[in-house]
Amino acid sequence: MLNEVESAEVSNGDEEAQMISVSEEPPITAGDEVIQALREGVRLLPPQAVKDLLSIGVCVQCIFRLFGVHGHNYSCFSILQSNLYAVLGELIYLDKQILDNTSPKEYSIRHSSKDSEIEPPICSICLGILQFFYYDDKEQPVRKNCPHDLAASISEVVKTEGHQIDNFSFEVSIPPIIVENEQAVRYVKFYLKSVPPIIVENEQAVRFYMESKYGSEPWFHNTFRPECISVKDALKLYVVTPLAMSLDIQSSPSSFHVRLTYSHAKASSRTNFSEGIQDSKRRKAGEKMCSDTKKSLHGLLEDESSECCKLPLEKVSQPCSLSITCYRKPIYIGGRYLKYSRNVSQTRWIIDDERMGEASVEEIIGGTIRPMCRGDNYKFHAAGREDIDVRMLGSGRPFLVEVQNARIVPSEVAINDIEEKINNCKKVRVKSLKVVGTHGWALMREGEMEKQKQYAAIVWISRPLEDEDLQNICALKEMKISQKTPIRVLHRRSPLEREKIIHWMKIERLAESSQYFLLHLCTQAGTYIKEFVHGDLGRTYPNIGSILGCMAEILQLDVTDVKMDGFNTD
Amino acid sequence: MMNGHNSESDHTKILEDEELQRLLVPDVCHLPLTPPSAVDSNFVCYFAPDFIKPGHDQYVYRHANGLCVIGLAPMHVALQDKGGVTAVDFNVGKFDRSGIKVTGKRKRNAQHFEHNTALCKVCTNDNSYIVRCCVKGSLLEVNDRLIKQPKLLNTSANREGYIAIIMPKPADWLKIKASLIGPEDYKNLRALS
Repeated sequence: MLNEVESAEVSNGDEEAQMISVSEEPPITAGDEVIQALREGVRLLPPQAVKDLLSIGVCVQCIFRLFGVHGHNYSCFSILQSNLYAVLGELIYLDKQILDNTSPKEYSIRHSSKDSEIEPPICSICLGILQFFYYDDKEQPVRKNCPHDLAASISEVVKTEGHQIDNFSFEVSIPPIIVENEQAVRYVKFYLKSVPPIIVENEQAVRFYMESKYGSEPWFHNTFRPECISVKDALKLYVVTPLAMSLDIQSSPSSFHVRLTYSHAKASSRTNFSEGIQDSKRRKAGEKMCSDTKKSLHGLLEDESSECCKLPLEKVSQPCSLSITCYRKPIYIGGRYLKYSRNVSQTRWIIDDERMGEASVEEIIGGTIRPMCRGDNYKFHAAGREDIDVRMLGSGRPFLVEVQNARIVPSEVAINDIEEKINNCKKVRVKSLKVVGTHGWALMREGEMEKQKQYAAIVWISRPLEDEDLQNICALKEMKISQKTPIRVLHRRSPLEREKIIHWMKIERLAESSQYFLLHLCTQAGTYIKEFVHGDLGRTYPNIGSILGCMAEILQLDVTDVKMDGFNTD
Repeated sequence: MMNGHNSESDHTKILEDEELQRLLVPDVCHLPLTPPSAVDSNFVCYFAPDFIKPGHDQYVYRHANGLCVIGLAPMHVALQDKGGVTAVDFNVGKFDRSGIKVTGKRKRNAQHFEHNTALCKVCTNDNSYIVRCCVKGSLLEVNDRLIKQPKLLNTSANREGYIAIIMPKPADWLKIKASLIGPEDYKNLRALS
């Protein structure tokens, strides 16, 4: 041991290789040039301060962050953590001042830590996140040695899910305690007053400590910058590129998200949490620490009762739990549907465990699309609706199927297959099926309220039809009617009187009948057609019976057109 | 080229229209001579003969959704009077029934009435008769058209001349149902053809 110390004193700026050769040479998997570059970046750091940070439990990655060391740190994914510690170790123990004050025993312990025999403690700022140390979803502790290894684990999860993807967005969610503390550096005042003493202040406390101890040093304001990359951003810098390489796709804004969610038991024990977060959210991100804030920082440092600067920081005994998930944001497939059956409801309709009707448009369409996209779920949205016993004919009704977490986005060929499959069932037909962007929503909503709907009804009247009747009906344009809430829906809708417009009507005689005829009409959206024909005990007025001066009944109703611009083939 | 394209899509449109027409036009011989009325199709009709008082025959049309339409049955004494019904007054009991305003899906402000609570008074030339709820429940609506057009009771008491709409609780409906009779039984009882 003593020998090692002597050699250190001698080398003094000579080849660092000599230092390393003192103990067994660990395999440096990253290229020597990379290690060299790291050393260059680290060279300007104040050794005493770095040693200090290490001693209070800050990890090497966070130290690099706080001091703004970038470069090769993030661009070489196979740098082992042990390499990083080794480089820092050299920095510290090359410093004469430190060596003078270091006992031989302490030195050797520090020095051999790069052999990874003694694992560094869990970082008190990032809770092990940047050290790639976590509990996996089986609650087993996992330590990854370099960014590449972590990326490989993530890559495995993604491959298992089997999404067909060209790119991905990367999201990281970390325990608020870390975020809050990073933000708190800027939003100090409000935050401090609300934090219970038990909570570890993480980065903020460290900053206070550093400012109090080294604030007057010449290097402080240059190297220890108040704004530095956050834990989240650092993790992204480490992981995104090796992950992209491993999956052989690009990292760019995408509908496919890979998400790392870190959670920590301690972080959720805060009670004044929301207060702090609310206040900090009021400030814009990226605000630099102004002189006023610095003053208040110093003021607080002097305040004995302020718990925030209590050091040593509480030792963190457990890393975070990490959950790796990936999902695709919902995709939308839209088109128009026709319904030929009078026994198929638009949506799933089940009363007391019994299905009403033999099937539903929703299930026929959505149930075919979802498996073809290999999605988890689907939601069916249509522009308006029709009763189970009303057919939807003509141009069809616009609809959107929202597929959650689709593994495949269907190609044009696949879309044609889906169309064919649905149309084969004969009860329902789809037209103009295609994948639409989120603008599909706007198209749908716009269609519901404003547009006109066209119908054809088989009507019976209690006396023979006259030619005069045809003329009278035809002459009525933009006729206002008043409809009280139909009795058949009165149990679940508000009792109101709604004014509706019948735009035009036309009677088509039926060859073999004098009392039956086809009534074609075009009405405002939301008009109850059946009630307009039979009058609903006089609660819809005027009605066909009142116009023709007799009793009228409706036998059948078909929707013949939903006038909407969108969702048509070009 | 352009023309050719146009006529193709026009052709498709014509075919679609023809298909639509084919779907819309029914086979008349399959249609019933006289179809069931909207009331018959959507409600189950019950009768309460001699309700509280002799000759006060009322009907209760119950919809599948539980709502009950109350009205005067064909053999109600008021409808037998010479000259028929001349006036209808909803101002009976504590307040005017035609003044209630029920709002919202939950039907707030609806009055809860017993089966024998008075709904309105029906007047003829010689007499006046009280019409009652028949069913215990919330009063959703009264037919205020009867105020201006009391003759509706003479022409269509079973349709446009209905009296009121009541929403009973399921348990209350079952209680009263036991004392009601169906259309056939009512016809036989009153010796109607």
